[in-house]
Amino acid sequence: MKSSDTTLAHTKGGSKVMQEQKAAETVGRTKGLSKKAKENLAGYLFISPWIIGFLGLTLGPLLFSLAASFTDYNITSKMNFIGLENYKRMFTMDDLFRTSLFNTIYYVIFSVPLTTAGAILLAVLLNQKIKGMKFFRTIYYLPAVLSGVAVYFLWMQLLSPSTGLVNTMLAWIGIDGPAWLFDPEWTKPALLLMKMWSVGGGMLLYLAIMQGVSAQMYEAADIEGASPWQKFYHITLPMISPIIFFDVITSTIGAFQIFQEAYVMTENGSGGPGNSLLFYNLHMWNNAFEVFDMGYASAMAWLLFIIVMILTTVNMKLGKRWVHYEGGDSK
Amino acid sequence: MKRGLAFIIAVFMLIGLLAGCSGENKAEADKTKDGKIVVDFWTFWGSETRRPIIEKIIDDYNSSQDKVFVKHTFLPWGDIWTKNLASVAAGNPADVIVNDINTVAQRAENKQVEDLSQYIDDSFKQKFHPHLWDTVEYDGKSYAVPFNTDTRLLFYNKTAFKEAGLDPEKPPATWAELEEYAKKLDVKNGDNYERVGFYPLWGSVGASSWMTNADSGKGFIEDGELTINTPKKVEALNWILDWKERLGENTVQAFQAEFGSEQANPFIAEKVAMWVDVGTFYTQLRDYGQDVDFGVAPIPANEEGSGNWAEGGGFVVEIPKGAKHPEEAMDFIKYLTDVEAQKYWSVKNYDNVANIEAAEAALNELEGPDKMVYEATVKNLKQTKMFPVPVEYPDYHSRLNPHIDNALLGKTSPEEALEEAEEDIAKMKKE
Repeated sequence: MKSSDTTLAHTKGGSKVMQEQKAAETVGRTKGLSKKAKENLAGYLFISPWIIGFLGLTLGPLLFSLAASFTDYNITSKMNFIGLENYKRMFTMDDLFRTSLFNTIYYVIFSVPLTTAGAILLAVLLNQKIKGMKFFRTIYYLPAVLSGVAVYFLWMQLLSPSTGLVNTMLAWIGIDGPAWLFDPEWTKPALLLMKMWSVGGGMLLYLAIMQGVSAQMYEAADIEGASPWQKFYHITLPMISPIIFFDVITSTIGAFQIFQEAYVMTENGSGGPGNSLLFYNLHMWNNAFEVFDMGYASAMAWLLFIIVMILTTVNMKLGKRWVHYEGGDSK
Repeated sequence: MKRGLAFIIAVFMLIGLLAGCSGENKAEADKTKDGKIVVDFWTFWGSETRRPIIEKIIDDYNSSQDKVFVKHTFLPWGDIWTKNLASVAAGNPADVIVNDINTVAQRAENKQVEDLSQYIDDSFKQKFHPHLWDTVEYDGKSYAVPFNTDTRLLFYNKTAFKEAGLDPEKPPATWAELEEYAKKLDVKNGDNYERVGFYPLWGSVGASSWMTNADSGKGFIEDGELTINTPKKVEALNWILDWKERLGENTVQAFQAEFGSEQANPFIAEKVAMWVDVGTFYTQLRDYGQDVDFGVAPIPANEEGSGNWAEGGGFVVEIPKGAKHPEEAMDFIKYLTDVEAQKYWSVKNYDNVANIEAAEAALNELEGPDKMVYEATVKNLKQTKMFPVPVEYPDYHSRLNPHIDNALLGKTSPEEALEEAEEDIAKMKKE
């Protein structure tokens, strides 16, 4: 029957008492401590606001949700242990779970490579020495500054089937544009298009590292008669690979967490026509706050955590093969 | 020495932080300065039109009280539910909240609302439209009091009727007539439609409404039984598909794209001759469509005698579980749902209210077309179907709708879609 907030208060209260005792003890004993131990202790005390915050506000709720995933917790009145029932239900009974997982994986598979490649391409183009480049850089970065709900509304207008700018422009070149957000076949591509528009954030990272690549290498390559493609493939790519690696990992995690777009851009946050935009987190949110099945939602959250964890580990392992760190082979 | 200082500073910082944390999160004062009990009332009515109306009602109540003071807290739509849930869980909720009428049973089942039965007797229940009162009962107890509601009517363009040689005083009464009239009302220029007579999915109506209408007002789950895959509901989907085929996907989409703004509403722009919408749609017509000569009628029946069933929604007022002053809260709820406040709300907002006497009193204050439409909505409440969500199937909507979508998009046949929907929903039954 305990609510998460009271549990939180307990944890906080508990650690408070402990910490105070500890602090009191330490004050009494400082004389007896070695210099190093004193230093360590002071360090821990300095970071203690963070540690307390982490324990109380992150780790606590995290573990609580793990525990809740084995119960029928409904936030207000129930919390009975039901074993693996939630997990069983996910895999054997809930068709929407499968739909949502499929939609999410689809989105991850397309959005991560597309946005990564898009950002690199853009960075290469913007790394030329041409007059007015600063202007272009600003323009391309601008969409990354704009964010959130306003952008989604903007895109809903742009993607409007018969009056939207996208289809109007397609019509100029003789293409009869799709119904985008109204056609289940096109809803996800519509979101991908929107994501491509805001690759400016990633572009900035690539641009920064590209500017750090030593000009000597390119000069040497020029002398050897390398083509622009060879220079890109053999110099630029390896040199920026640490950023690619970082970008792929963070955007994969980000893509798995897609929620807002679907929540805002579909009617009543329902997941769009034919549930084509019912992403994992949206289904989870609906279970938690519409159906009040927080136990099931917690189970879903932990499964997603496991999936993302595995993928990240795989990425890390694979990364060793292609990521080039300058200044040695230390792995 | 320096290190010692750093150490001492760290200790002080820590103590300071802990003191800050432990500072009792003082519950908001539950009494005013002059000793009145504060009843916190949460609504999502923050718009320019609604806020003054609800606050006037609250002020009237407050000036009649010497022990209680009602404080209005506005929370945006959407936020209000999650915040309510969190505050109930934390044991520090509002005293009164406005909430969705179709999900009272779920909140009762999950112990998010107080049982109000002890304050309610039969004579109180009878003040409200019975189909609304049904939604607040769960397991023989009452958990909320209905506040407002809505219903859907067929708005039709009398000028267009005359042009098409139809009697403007005789709106279609059955689906067959609706179709017949619609064809006459279509105006085509080559392949393009300049005016569409009718399309069942435009306006404030969806496939589920037509399916219920076809099935003599039978919803998707009746008394715990799934009634999704019924011949009449399949027929309704096929009927909608026929309209789509006749008008063509392009026509439907092109018109739909213009639905955004009120000024461009296709019925107001006289580009669609018949239109299903909620009663309050009239206020848009009044404000933006002065030139439209229109009439209203109940939604046509599937066949003669099957009933002019329309879909309804609305809101209730309730006391979140664990509220500190349930008795005072209930007293305020009784005021909110009594004739005076309900009449004021309905006249000012042009909204349907739950209190029967108040609706009648409101009618007496209205005149002209205001009265004509309002009267039609009040009458229509008798044939309005609510869709309360049963506790066994809390998310049946999100499982049913994609199947209906697929049928309407031509991906599956209506028969298959409804069969699959029923199977999916049956699987997720909660014990």
